[in-house]
Amino acid sequence: MAQGTFDFDDELRFSRRELIVGAAFVPLAALVAQAQGVPAALTPAQLKTLEAFIDRLIPSDELGPGAVAAGAQVYIDRVLAGPNANEKGQFLQGLEAVDAYAKRTQGGPLAELSPEKRDQILKAIDDGTALGLPQGRNFFNRARRLTLEGMFGDPYYGGNQGFAGWDLIRYPGPRSAVDAEMQRMDKAPAPYRRSAWGPQYK
Amino acid sequence: MATTLKQVDVAVIGLGAAGGVAVLPLARAGLKIAGIEAGTWMDPHKDFHADEVFNNVRRLVTSSPKAQREIPTVRTGPGEKGVQAAAHPMMNAVGGTSIHYWAQSWRLKPWDFRTRSEVIRRYGANAIPAGTTLEDWPITYDELAPFYERIEDEVGVSGAAGNIQGKLTGVGNPFEGPRDKEYPMPPLRGSGFTDRMADAAKTLGWKPFAPPAAINSQPRKGRGSCVYHGYCATGGCHVSAKNSTAVTTIPEAQRTKNLTIFDHAHVTRIETDSNGRTTGVRYIRNRQEYFQPAKVVLLAGYTYENSRLLLLSKSKAYPKGLSNNHGQVGRHYFGHWGTNVTALFPSDINIWYGLPAQGTTCDEWADDHFDHAGMGFVGGSSLHVYTERHPIDAAAMNTFGRAPGWGSAWKKFIHDAAARQAQTYLQTNTFPYETLYLDLDDDIRDPLGDPVCRINTGGMRENERRSVLHAQGKMEEWYRAAGAIEIFKPPPAVPGVSTHAYGGTRMGDNPDTNVVNRWGFSHESPNLGILGASVMGTSGARNPTLTAQALAWRTADYLAKNWKSISF
Repeated sequence: MAQGTFDFDDELRFSRRELIVGAAFVPLAALVAQAQGVPAALTPAQLKTLEAFIDRLIPSDELGPGAVAAGAQVYIDRVLAGPNANEKGQFLQGLEAVDAYAKRTQGGPLAELSPEKRDQILKAIDDGTALGLPQGRNFFNRARRLTLEGMFGDPYYGGNQGFAGWDLIRYPGPRSAVDAEMQRMDKAPAPYRRSAWGPQYK
Repeated sequence: MATTLKQVDVAVIGLGAAGGVAVLPLARAGLKIAGIEAGTWMDPHKDFHADEVFNNVRRLVTSSPKAQREIPTVRTGPGEKGVQAAAHPMMNAVGGTSIHYWAQSWRLKPWDFRTRSEVIRRYGANAIPAGTTLEDWPITYDELAPFYERIEDEVGVSGAAGNIQGKLTGVGNPFEGPRDKEYPMPPLRGSGFTDRMADAAKTLGWKPFAPPAAINSQPRKGRGSCVYHGYCATGGCHVSAKNSTAVTTIPEAQRTKNLTIFDHAHVTRIETDSNGRTTGVRYIRNRQEYFQPAKVVLLAGYTYENSRLLLLSKSKAYPKGLSNNHGQVGRHYFGHWGTNVTALFPSDINIWYGLPAQGTTCDEWADDHFDHAGMGFVGGSSLHVYTERHPIDAAAMNTFGRAPGWGSAWKKFIHDAAARQAQTYLQTNTFPYETLYLDLDDDIRDPLGDPVCRINTGGMRENERRSVLHAQGKMEEWYRAAGAIEIFKPPPAVPGVSTHAYGGTRMGDNPDTNVVNRWGFSHESPNLGILGASVMGTSGARNPTLTAQALAWRTADYLAKNWKSISF
């Protein structure tokens, strides 16, 4: 949002051209085109660091694939390159700071540490006890939120691969129509593993 | 220079929930209308998807540029800087926010129109909340009832009548004002969970019911019925079963050939002459500036935009903004108080599919349906449980203190619990206050250089805070009766930018305290009408849209019937 520093009357004397260009509309189609995005916000090294982080947020275990196995990092990489490009710089700064903290406190980059050591790092950030990491909590919250979007969003966006996120919480999948039988409390609807953007979606 | 267009009879600014119904009686009366809309037509096939990332994370249905470029700021009051909200919850489109709203379509209660005198009559003058500018409406429920009925039919509302001509039906809302006849369609079906909640309410002696919605529960007027697929909120309806004005009254008005729609038109000013009469509308479209002369202008933006456009439209006749010589524009504004109580159940409740209007409502604790003597507040809240749950939102759930926020223990928690959490919508009777108002921000401007609207909240309100706490207690009782094992009640919060925003151009007989008269026309500029919840002086404990639409129809109907005297 523009934050004017001029007096209101001065603004009105702005050139006609400025006024008119300012009112140009972004067509919805352009916004939709941004939706899918293309990978490449992160370097391979940054991607490894990100994976090492989100792997501890949602680990693979006996309940099924975790964030990395489900491709949440693909989702994050794509949104930072596309629709969320305005937060890319801050996000990557946060990621680098966590990696530097890992080297400082655990003796190695995040991607080379054991799950236990990475858990200690995440716990310190989450508790707000990680020294020298003033933006750690903000980064943690943002990384967690984007990981949830990647893990539980439509697979169209790169994450939730194999419908791992939806299966984990028993979300039965988007359908274009739902009958009363599928809304009973005593009987779960059968899983319908489709993307709302896929060719088989009906 | 702006291009001056051919004069029309009526220019309607904004074709949303309110402007979108007002065009119909005008068009049927043979008046030539210019519908000036900042958004455009949306395409159900291209724009509406069963996708949480698209609708709710990126908000691509609602991210229309005009609204998002002039998001209001919020501050407590003078001396503070307004802080701009992250997003505008409303949208620009032909159909406006009726595209993505929940479509809950309530009539207000007779009490809502006479709250001030009813509170004084039952509890005494001291029971009126301190600092409120509350007035009785200039019209009664009975005067608006025929227009409610008209909208319920023209737009299409499903529901079960609770009170037909004073006789309780035994179904529907037993607390509603008398209706002349049954709804045009039966209510939406319930789900297993909403049925469970209805049974639980009955064990408490309450009278649960399926609330009214502007959604087809059966095929009607050439469109199909709701398919309950779970992507109604903040999304458009892919089968056009949600009765937005884009699929109901606007196309109906177009068939008369009397309505011309100018989409992508960003209105910048309403113009007036030296006598104070409104002369037309200035807007920018396709990078050109236009002036649309009109004999009558109906302002039908959202509540924030209505006050803002009036305050921006300064002239010799109106140095403080159009229709603001009494200093009332922006006053008597309020955002709807409410709260969401969440509950955890011991087994899956299967509320993924459905829609927020598919639910069970209890009205025992709303309005004045219980004795407030000694309770320290007046008004109350409607309690509504509903379906439609999206997977990201479900996974981001509150852990009720039962698990950490990440790692395997958290994963185990959401594996069990994400399918077992319910949400409620509690809507609270809310009052206008002297220190709660809209004005223009000192610093934040839109890309054209015009200041955005600023909400001055005046801070916490003791009446509403107590009212919310009381309703949360009742909601907990209801959940527990249905078997909930955990309850979370968020602390009552002062509303910021709201989807239920009222006032700013309040309707009333007294021009010293109101902007529009009992018919919705300006006390100062007689050929300027104002539509939307910005004219409402009370909120009720329920969604505003049907009332805003009934009032809009009534204003347009009055204009058509009194065309000569209003238009000259």
